[in-house]
Amino acid sequence: MTHARKPSMSTAALSPEELTRYARQIGPGVLSVAGQTRLKNSAALVSRVGGMGGPAALALVMAGVGRLIIAHGGRLIAPDLNRQLLGSERTIGQPRAAHFADSLRSMNRLVTVESIDHEPTDREALELTRRVDVVLSCAPTFEERLRLNSAALAAGVPLIDAAQWGLTGTLVAVDPGRTACLRCLYPQPPEFEEMFPVIGAIAMATGAMAALEAIKILSGTGTPLFGRLWMIDGHRGLSRQLDLQRAADCPCCGPSARPAATDSRRP
Amino acid sequence: MNVRIVWAGRNYDLAASLPDELTLPESASVDDALKMLSGCLPHNRRLPGTCLIAVSGTHLGCLQSHRNQPLKDGDELLVLWPVAGG
Repeated sequence: MTHARKPSMSTAALSPEELTRYARQIGPGVLSVAGQTRLKNSAALVSRVGGMGGPAALALVMAGVGRLIIAHGGRLIAPDLNRQLLGSERTIGQPRAAHFADSLRSMNRLVTVESIDHEPTDREALELTRRVDVVLSCAPTFEERLRLNSAALAAGVPLIDAAQWGLTGTLVAVDPGRTACLRCLYPQPPEFEEMFPVIGAIAMATGAMAALEAIKILSGTGTPLFGRLWMIDGHRGLSRQLDLQRAADCPCCGPSARPAATDSRRP
Repeated sequence: MNVRIVWAGRNYDLAASLPDELTLPESASVDDALKMLSGCLPHNRRLPGTCLIAVSGTHLGCLQSHRNQPLKDGDELLVLWPVAGG
């Protein structure tokens, strides 16, 4: 499924440098030149950029998304370094967002990276979502995930939700108004464990797969995960996909939901 | 009939002590299976109502609000305790 472009977005062609830079991912089995061009002319929001969002942001930058907005509050602490690959021992104690953005820029100067040093409020989430073509929800709480879900639905922007606990991870892709949203899955926010257990390997794997879904959506490549939940149980080496059902009474995407805000992007 | 059980998400550390298969009467439903599973949980443990329930790859809702349906031999009942780490 290819999503319509924002009317205001540029359609700049790939430069010779970009064609060289992305040579290994342009061709049969990966992206077409047109797909890589669509990726270049796309923007993504990743909130937050810790264990999953960091690898997701990195993969998007390395792949050549045109513009990336990251949001993450707080300062880096030592226990973050088992998974937050955009941090380093050198940046312990420093604000995450600015340093993580610098780390991303150092990987690819052809990508514009913006950073926000806090978790977006409801209003900010909507404003940010209207500026991008896909949202990656990598937040540690259901409250934040559901906030991004609401913003994505209102803006008509696809949402990729990545979550993990221990050695397990889940991915959900939402095509607003067409497939189940996070509120359809979680009518009541599940309980949240502040000090959730996590090992970097599963966080990175889940984040990388979230980025892959975003790249597919933005470039028009492959079949996105829309309408499905992908569960990866690293503890037992199991993987399952579920076909998700929309909730008829969903307060976010059901008939009783408030009409979506300006949505010039939907076909 | 036999139904395979997959515990997922935050369940997996609990799963070692729980059955991975149930033998049920031919007319059993999802709710019958869930009731039997709740009886297998350790003392003082219960699954939150937000657990996702799926049968053979189809999501039915969450534990507290899901579509009940008949099970058939060979079905896979998945109980996923939602995860939300970042």
